Amino acid sequence: MSNYYEELSQSIISGQLDRVKSLTQQAIGAGDNPVDIINQGLIPGMSVVGARFKSGQMYVPEVLMSARAMDAGMQLVKPLILTEDIPSAGKVVIGTVKGDLHDIGKNLVSMMLESAGYTVINVGVDAGPEKFLQAVKEHQPGVIGMSALLTTTMLAMKDTIELLKEEGLRDKVKVIIGGAPISQDFADEIGADGFAPDAGSAADLCKKLLA
Amino acid sequence: MPVRSNYVENTSPMFRILSPSQCEEILLAAQEVLERTGVTVYDEEARDILKKAGCWVDGILVRIPSAVVNKALRSVPKRVTLCNSRTGSRDVRLEGYNAYFGTGSDTPFTIDPYTGKRQRSTKESVSNACKVIDALENLDFVMSLGIVQDVPLLISDRHQFEAQVLNTSKPIVTTAHDIYGFADIIEMCEIIAGGVEELRRNPFMTLYAEPISPLQHAWEAASKLILAARKGLPVVYTPCVMAGGTVPATMAGVLTQGLAESLSGLVINQSTREGSPFIMGGVFTIMDMSSTIFSYGSPEFNLLMSSLADMAHYLKLPMFGTAGCSDSNLVDEQAGIEAAMSIAMTALSGPNLNHDVGYIEYGSTSSLEFLTINNDVIGMARRLVRGIEVNDETLALDLIHKIGPGGHFLCEDHTMKHFKTETYYPSLIDRQRYESWMENGSKTLFQRANEKVKDIIENYEPDPLPKDVQQKIRAIVERSEQSIAK
Repeated sequence: MSNYYEELSQSIISGQLDRVKSLTQQAIGAGDNPVDIINQGLIPGMSVVGARFKSGQMYVPEVLMSARAMDAGMQLVKPLILTEDIPSAGKVVIGTVKGDLHDIGKNLVSMMLESAGYTVINVGVDAGPEKFLQAVKEHQPGVIGMSALLTTTMLAMKDTIELLKEEGLRDKVKVIIGGAPISQDFADEIGADGFAPDAGSAADLCKKLLA
Repeated sequence: MPVRSNYVENTSPMFRILSPSQCEEILLAAQEVLERTGVTVYDEEARDILKKAGCWVDGILVRIPSAVVNKALRSVPKRVTLCNSRTGSRDVRLEGYNAYFGTGSDTPFTIDPYTGKRQRSTKESVSNACKVIDALENLDFVMSLGIVQDVPLLISDRHQFEAQVLNTSKPIVTTAHDIYGFADIIEMCEIIAGGVEELRRNPFMTLYAEPISPLQHAWEAASKLILAARKGLPVVYTPCVMAGGTVPATMAGVLTQGLAESLSGLVINQSTREGSPFIMGGVFTIMDMSSTIFSYGSPEFNLLMSSLADMAHYLKLPMFGTAGCSDSNLVDEQAGIEAAMSIAMTALSGPNLNHDVGYIEYGSTSSLEFLTINNDVIGMARRLVRGIEVNDETLALDLIHKIGPGGHFLCEDHTMKHFKTETYYPSLIDRQRYESWMENGSKTLFQRANEKVKDIIENYEPDPLPKDVQQKIRAIVERSEQSIAK
């Protein structure tokens, strides 16, 4: 049992990237099990961050600094373990739909998902159904997330769902949607599995859908 | 009569955030952003126009030399006038410190005044909203207060414009999905105005378009700026930026980058046709770092709006401002506080075409009760801005002497002559004594507003358009429906 873990968690919480790197390096040097470093040092820190954000004690930039510090630690540990042993909450493909270039919301969701332990494949903006389909085939995610800011472009969400059906992939992946004009009613109407009003609840939604 | 020199008179309150030196520094900084960082332009034609104008085009990235910006600032008209669509009367003069108020446009939701429920906005809700705006004396122009969503969405902009123009004669600021929607709307306006030239001379419609922050002009936005210039019609171009999210967290950084986005839009517009009417917008605010909303009620939102007004006056550009809106999810005390603060600051700062009156839920929902309450707040702000007139008549020394210690002023001609113009009487704000308020049903401000809204919807008739004009507009809407059915 390493005594680095408590301090590692604290450094994640305070978003000190350099400190997280050096502590992770020290733990590796001391011969700690890399999986333990992740599960007992890095992840517990990030769990605190998630809880504090939800209760309004931490703000988005602070959460993202913590996530960045966490990722720096992960990058050091990852080469030491087999890919299948790396803890991941799941894979999510995410993008802004065709005809829409707005991406701040989608990027926020993407970062919040990463900080919650998900592997995120970001297909960018103006992503047509084919682009989502290709990413689903290539990465086999548990969830795809689509974002739209406009009432005209939100219609494209349905096209992706239809294409997934045609390709026989609809039951292989959960579909979640979000953006200013989106509501639960709209999600139900187009046959999505879920809607999240903000980035924090998007991560919760993925957790629920992948449970 | 004495001769009097060195007398300085304020005929209105004096209010500003930025000094001329600070405005100049921010302008130069925005020009540096355009010259160094540049903007992306997703419309090929716009890139060609920019290249011909002397910009440096590298793929979709366009960098704009300061001289090109200066040229656009010289060619753009310093004033834009918007008219009544029925009479052509030139009511809304966007120039100097004139501040006009109107509603906002594309909320996905609205509060139904009959059920109190938040619902998706429809053609009927937009029609009702426009009737209410038309009836309220302190609202000068109309935006739809909702996206029409109970029609095919791809051509809903045509329905939205039809619902607006049938129910109000006040100038309309409208959105369109793309240039095809915009072209159909222009065609409707030309029919109403009686011709292409007539509309250009007395425009009653201006299009709303926006870049995508940071520093991007999507195809839809750039092509609208070009079409508006070709048609010689005014266009509002309004970056909606959130501090810490799509622009720096610092207020000066917000102003710099937001201004760079506006000025690059101006260059696209003016390079298409010099002298085209252009209205600089800017909903500059913060991203709330807890909820991530785009705030419509924070003090920074007001500070940025007032300082952008200082910039607009410095640049002598007509400006599209924002006021009378709230982050609150319902029409409550918070909504009242936020709207009152923004309306007062807007009236004091003097941006010209001030929209979003009646928005709640950080711009996602509209409320006609909130709009109607704000109609009174705007009236109060108008009184504040009228300031205090100081002269022999208003000092009233002879009258004070005549009444003397212990008398009263109630029965004086002077009182009779001045009390109604010196004081503002709002219609919904309550000043009743407790007992009469009880006798009248002890109603809250919201309840009184709700009654007024329903009364307008049920009893008010806006000036109709001639029947044949209505039919021609309908034909354009139907034509667009057929075009997507193919």
